[in-house]
Amino acid sequence: MDNACESPTEKGGETRESDEPTAAPGGSRVTEMDGIPEETDGDGDGELKEAAAEEGELKSQDIADLTAVEREDSLLTPAAKKLKIDTKEKKEKKQKVDEDEIQKMQILVSSFSEEQLNRYEMYRRSAFPKAAIKRLIQSITGTSVSQNVVIAMSGISKVFVGEVVEEALDVCEKWGEMPPLQPKHMREAVRRLKSKGQIPNSKHKKIIFF
Amino acid sequence: MTQEKQKDPTFEEESEEIGGGAEGGQGKRKRLFSKELRCMMYGFGDDQNPYTESVDILEALVIAFITEMTHKAMSTGRQARVQVEDIVFLIRKDPRKFARVKDLLTMNEELKRARKAFDEANYGS
Repeated sequence: MDNACESPTEKGGETRESDEPTAAPGGSRVTEMDGIPEETDGDGDGELKEAAAEEGELKSQDIADLTAVEREDSLLTPAAKKLKIDTKEKKEKKQKVDEDEIQKMQILVSSFSEEQLNRYEMYRRSAFPKAAIKRLIQSITGTSVSQNVVIAMSGISKVFVGEVVEEALDVCEKWGEMPPLQPKHMREAVRRLKSKGQIPNSKHKKIIFF
Repeated sequence: MTQEKQKDPTFEEESEEIGGGAEGGQGKRKRLFSKELRCMMYGFGDDQNPYTESVDILEALVIAFITEMTHKAMSTGRQARVQVEDIVFLIRKDPRKFARVKDLLTMNEELKRARKAFDEANYGS
């Protein structure tokens, strides 16, 4: 019994430390595990006895033999255990998918021509100047804004520019003309995006029922 | 041609900014993003030297977009303030922008953590 009492706090410390290096994907998992040690600590022996009984033949000595994560797993109810394994699998699959994607990107970029490399470099490196964006937002709000807001807004604006330019290139190709893009392509692109609802406009009051 | 431009609701923002209404100049506003926008347009597929008029149109669009988002964010959540949560809420329906914002904020956190760890390591030694 003593072992079972001590292990939750130990485990809590261990598992929390091991999770810190992983970034956001691990975030949800950390909170899950943070909750569990607290629970078992608060409820004391009664909860632990129940959990141990549910798991079946697991004795306190066996618990001491297992690794930190396994120890915790053995104290979870079967439903919670399944949920945890599901999220663990999903996280592993996601990491593997990321690695695959990184590899594929590397192969692709290595086979670019010089012009393509130039364009790709411009695509990655171009960005709006943070100072100008900050000044613009602050002139609209009248109060100061945090750095994260400026980062988010510049990022979204770049995606917005990308959407408009891509649509304009589609229009240009459809009309059988060549880049560079002309204002008429841009205007047609904006008109199309507006009908898709990609251009925010809160000035025009929409009448739902005529 | 000038009349067409002003009647078109899409470019209300533009003609309001112009003030004078002359087709040639976009009015008193100084070009904020000319250089960066040129690089961006090239990166997204346009010619290496995009037309200046197209760049101007895009700049007006971006400024209108940011203005619109800022106004919406001010009326969401905590009033008269623009916070990241409000922006994320407004963008939730657009998958590309939403994913981009999440990535950017995650990366920023990671970088901050890495920089902090690096500084602490230096301080220690």
